[in-house]
Amino acid sequence: MASLYSYLFLSFFMFVIGMAVMIARKNVIAMLLGIELILNAAALNFVAYTRFINQNLDGHIMSLFIIVIAAAEAAVGLAIVIRFFQVRESIHVDDATQLQA
Amino acid sequence: MFDSVLFISSAVLVLVGSLGVLFIKENLMHACVSLLTALFGVAGLYATLGADFLAATQLVVYVGGVVILMLFGIMLTGGGTSNENKFGIEKVPGMGSVKTYIVAGVNVLVISLIVIRIMANVMKDYKAVPLPPYESTVEKLGTLLVTDHVLAFEISSILLLGALVGAAIIARPTRRTN
Repeated sequence: MASLYSYLFLSFFMFVIGMAVMIARKNVIAMLLGIELILNAAALNFVAYTRFINQNLDGHIMSLFIIVIAAAEAAVGLAIVIRFFQVRESIHVDDATQLQA
Repeated sequence: MFDSVLFISSAVLVLVGSLGVLFIKENLMHACVSLLTALFGVAGLYATLGADFLAATQLVVYVGGVVILMLFGIMLTGGGTSNENKFGIEKVPGMGSVKTYIVAGVNVLVISLIVIRIMANVMKDYKAVPLPPYESTVEKLGTLLVTDHVLAFEISSILLLGALVGAAIIARPTRRTN
């Protein structure tokens, strides 16, 4: 049966995969996908601790705000990516060199 | 019984979906659909944890909002497989040498030891007590949102407004001033 540790393992797995996506992939939108994975791992941790440790609902509130902030972050991130694509005709992360001194 | 089936299927969805985000390199569309699979799995995990409102919110906001937004972003910046060179889909070069892998392994050991040492204090009082039965959390969550956490609630509305206006301004095409 599902214990706290299985949820923690799943959350850890999602976090590590998201981190690897952010490090290894060179496409900006793929890196945004990795950020979504990391945020979901954190939210899952909050809800799992709420269920198994203390039964008040503060973890649910925190997870709700994580979802809200992830939506805002996705909107702003995609706006930046689209702007970058308009300027440089590319979304490869190595092409973002305009701010280099 | 139903709990276990739901947990196992959701866990499989999460594992397969997140691995797909990492390893599907040919077409970014497929990676995005794989992320959608993982988010479905997370919603199922919320359901097994008794968080019904969060599961519904996860489905509505992520699957209906964020992933669709990502798909539109992919389509607006060149689509799936077209112009691979411009799109930056190439094999990740073999990162690092033996020395860097050794350093990474030592880092994993040290950090996991530190985390285990910290978590040992937190988890000391944890006993697997019999869990309370599932009940609806919608009413309690609504009450909490407008009583205890009302400041965060209002600030998040301001944050969303700022994010939307900022996104519209950033993505606007340049207007020539002459």
